[in-house]
Amino acid sequence: MQPVIKISLNRNAFQFEQDAHDRLKHYLADAAAKLLGNEDRAEILLDLEQAIADQCRKRMQSGQDVITMAELAPALEEIGSVEIPGSPNPPLPPSTGGATPLEQISEGAIISGVCKGLARTARMDVTLVRVIAVVLLFITGGAMILLYTILMLLLPFAPLDPHAAPLRGLPAKCREYVLLIRSRLASLTR
Amino acid sequence: MHNEPEPKFTPIRKGLLEFLVLKIVGTESVYVPEILRRLAATEFATQEGTLYPLLSKLRREELVQYEWQESDAGPPRKYYRLTKSGRTQLAAFNQYWARINKTISDIGL
Repeated sequence: MQPVIKISLNRNAFQFEQDAHDRLKHYLADAAAKLLGNEDRAEILLDLEQAIADQCRKRMQSGQDVITMAELAPALEEIGSVEIPGSPNPPLPPSTGGATPLEQISEGAIISGVCKGLARTARMDVTLVRVIAVVLLFITGGAMILLYTILMLLLPFAPLDPHAAPLRGLPAKCREYVLLIRSRLASLTR
Repeated sequence: MHNEPEPKFTPIRKGLLEFLVLKIVGTESVYVPEILRRLAATEFATQEGTLYPLLSKLRREELVQYEWQESDAGPPRKYYRLTKSGRTQLAAFNQYWARINKTISDIGL
């Protein structure tokens, strides 16, 4: 059972179920926020209220006197959220969530693509990263090999470009074996 | 909604919507559901959430004006029509559009 809330939409009296009322309040608050600074804000909001009233009324069964989500959701869908003319398109959601994730990149890799992945995330030149890795290899007396192997086993692989030529050589082998090891480990732990 | 052809075309459609609305309002005095209905079958299909802010901008620019008319059911409705400067603007747009069209079809030949 839901409480019923009485409201006025552009001076039309309506009764809304609680969740539909909350959804409506959210829509109108969003519209009001987008219209902030618009000289006709109050008038446009009343226009929208009237549109919502009309759309809900159209969807009500005869004898129905409380509006539920079943009427409100499609009504708001049809009205659409407020768009201000001349404002730029809403920014597309960033595909990688802002920062580029740390992954190994098989394409164009020398071994498994760990350096390539590090370079992409750090926004550095990949050759520089590789030179640093080789220098560290000598300085640390081989500990770099261990570090590289760990990263190779842990870092996720960046998705392959479906249009690029198939992987060959060492990067292909590394990817194949690492994925094989991971699936074996996964099935062992299950 | 019309099927989205290509996201790159979206700004073109958005920019032209204003003139499509002027054109529709120019034929007769119309209310919003009628404007939506005329656009619905085209690639300019739009919604109240977009149209009301646009109409109010056009009214601020004194290109359209509205008057209240009683309706058979429910409250009175706003009926929009072009003002004199709306007509001038629409004529200028039609000319400009013809010119752009010619440029686009002529260039690169």
